[in-house]
Amino acid sequence: MKMFNDSHLEVKKYFSGTFETHPYEVGWADEAIFFIMTEKIEDSPVLEAQVQLSQDGVHWADDGSRPHVFSGTGLHIIKVEPNFGNYIRLAVNITGGRMFLNLHIACKG
Amino acid sequence: MSIDEILLRSRFSPLKRVLSYDIFNTGLNGWMTLMPNFTEYPDFDVPKTLVCKDQWPPVMLSSATYRYPGTHGAMSGTYSLKLSTRPVAAPYTEIPAEGCLGHAIKRMSFYRPGSRYLQIECWFSYTAEQDIVDGGDRPQPGLHETSIRDFGMGFDVQEGGKRYHVGMRYLNSVDGKLMQKWQFEQSSEEITDREWAFGLDGDWCKKGVDPWWFGRRFPNGDHDGFKDLPDGHQKLIYNETDCKLNWQYMRLKLDTQLREYVEFQCQDKIWDMRGIKADAIDGYNRIDNLINPLFWVGTDTDRRVFLYIDSVVVSQE
Repeated sequence: MKMFNDSHLEVKKYFSGTFETHPYEVGWADEAIFFIMTEKIEDSPVLEAQVQLSQDGVHWADDGSRPHVFSGTGLHIIKVEPNFGNYIRLAVNITGGRMFLNLHIACKG
Repeated sequence: MSIDEILLRSRFSPLKRVLSYDIFNTGLNGWMTLMPNFTEYPDFDVPKTLVCKDQWPPVMLSSATYRYPGTHGAMSGTYSLKLSTRPVAAPYTEIPAEGCLGHAIKRMSFYRPGSRYLQIECWFSYTAEQDIVDGGDRPQPGLHETSIRDFGMGFDVQEGGKRYHVGMRYLNSVDGKLMQKWQFEQSSEEITDREWAFGLDGDWCKKGVDPWWFGRRFPNGDHDGFKDLPDGHQKLIYNETDCKLNWQYMRLKLDTQLREYVEFQCQDKIWDMRGIKADAIDGYNRIDNLINPLFWVGTDTDRRVFLYIDSVVVSQE
């Protein structure tokens, strides 16, 4: 039977500007999905998120995928492209307002 | 006898009935980060409290992979349970910075009449993030042992209408000064719930509950929620660089009939703790017979620190 795990990365908090999610180890997993639930917004925020990889959890680079861009409330999904190694995170930039986020990573492998 | 049974009996000293035996190379086994209570109107909001649990990072399965040596792995395979902090810390005597702690908990319950003793034992290691070299004006400026403030393990227990937090913490560093001593969870007699909650009125928290967050702290390392274990100084293994892990053993035995500590062991040293009372308060609603083993780790500087658990056994008799 495969293993599955979902972890919070940020819970019920307003964000604006740039931030990166906590370095998360997924070496055991074959697939990873970031779930971004935008529960509330202020003004008209736009979220841009880029998946980043790291060898050591300290130094980071974009994973080569295109940035994901969302606006509005509701659930947004980022399916991480295959071959992501061990350490992954999201680099996020929110412009034009604030978003109240619940941000999770779900892995299976 | 299977190799698993041989390893259990060789590496651990469980009581008669093993409640859980978790080897994290096989998965998270129900260990997760402690979260706030999502109970309030209008959208599962969190009750107002001083303790900020939503900044504690997620626990994860770690391969312990570092910049230069690559993957360290675990004692029992590739993966261990990793608790981590965010890179934020407040001075020791101040209210903890949000995110300065990492926390892991598993939720179980009493199941058999007459189970008097309760024990937790694990193989663990700890390190600080190898992020930047500190100022070059001291020996080994790239060794970050003093960034780890504390770590520990214990239980949140409620039985017979009484709730108590019992556990041991290794106070490693206070504002950059190595302390390297064991303390046990027990709040000071004379303090009030208000003092426990940093002077805030109306907080739900009771004296003795959640000592990793609450309770005043003093410059010499004293803490309203912890007391020094007599003869409790112990230099644990923090190998020559932040990317070398040595797996070490610790064990805590409790008496849930007398509500007392019984015995603590770390590496090959054993402390007799009989007679030290658990910090029992009136029970909370709906959780009688609860057994929640837990671990935590705290950072002393603006740097992530990590506690790794290879495997853990909870047992009763």
